Amino acid sequence: MKYFIALIVIALAGCNPSVTKEEFSPEMYKEHPLSILVLPPINRSTAADAKDYYLTTVAEPLTNTGYYVFPIEIVTDILKQEGLSDTESMVNVPPQKFREFFDADAVLYVSILKWNTSYLITSGSVTVQLECELKSTRTGSTLWYYNDEISVSTTGDNGGAGGWAGLLIQAATTALKTATTDYVPIAKDVNTKLFLAMPFGKYNKEYNLDMKKRIELKKKSTAEVNSSKK
Amino acid sequence: MKTTIKFVSLLVIILFIGCKPETQFFWGNYSKTLYDYKKNPDDKTLAEHKKSLTEIILQSSKKHKPVPPGVYAELGYLTVREGNETEGNEYFKKEMLYYPESKVFIEKLLNELHPGESK
Repeated sequence: MKYFIALIVIALAGCNPSVTKEEFSPEMYKEHPLSILVLPPINRSTAADAKDYYLTTVAEPLTNTGYYVFPIEIVTDILKQEGLSDTESMVNVPPQKFREFFDADAVLYVSILKWNTSYLITSGSVTVQLECELKSTRTGSTLWYYNDEISVSTTGDNGGAGGWAGLLIQAATTALKTATTDYVPIAKDVNTKLFLAMPFGKYNKEYNLDMKKRIELKKKSTAEVNSSKK
Repeated sequence: MKTTIKFVSLLVIILFIGCKPETQFFWGNYSKTLYDYKKNPDDKTLAEHKKSLTEIILQSSKKHKPVPPGVYAELGYLTVREGNETEGNEYFKKEMLYYPESKVFIEKLLNELHPGESK
């Protein structure tokens, strides 16, 4: 079974156009940003909690990617004091300003496009879709961007019972599992997956050794962001 | 096609969960306790989050790993806000020592936290 799954994965990975990290984000290897300031995300999903889930789970994968990440809790407080609690207004602040204020090398802008919990009686899942853009505070230009989506099943099990009884048990356990799903690990997983496509920073062992690593090609599409606004 | 992609990404995730690589930094329960604190900010959740920060520092040294970026700063911030300035400042100093790129930011923060104090 495992081999079969692996084969599907390999087969499908082959379908998607891929590029090396260096081809995808050459500026990263020229500028070598060391520190990243993460701005509170723009939440375009329908889940009110999504912002907090994102902000509490981003530091871990991003530091493991190899960057100094300014303490997010403190940064959020400072931005609030400066009257910049609403992210839409922050988009208009030139990235260079964040070098002045924080001495950050780069700024990470994040949009949460989807945070859906779907629940269909006997099966459930959580889908998270994010879009990230890293901008240089020296030049203001984009160093890296990516978008990705993951789905995690919250389908319950049927307790080994078959037929109608099994379906009923499964429906009940699915409802319970979907309601009590711990979203923290899901948010962490989607962040981890995204940052694998980012060139590694100084605190990662593979710093400067990952230029030839192949990642899935993503197109920066503002259209997608706008269409999911609805 | 879309459902196939979803299905496959789910499978990929399942495959990956089985083999977690050793990460650069140890973050313990950070996300969990911080989320709980943000959802219900009270003395209990704050104490839990502070505990998880001190635990990260402790476990990192046991695992011979550097303390992750921002952890000393966040602990310092919480400690100063509780009125314990001397202890908090020690944590801020450690953040600047281990991560010199934080210096400008931490010094500005210290000025805000202790206005009028000259360095």
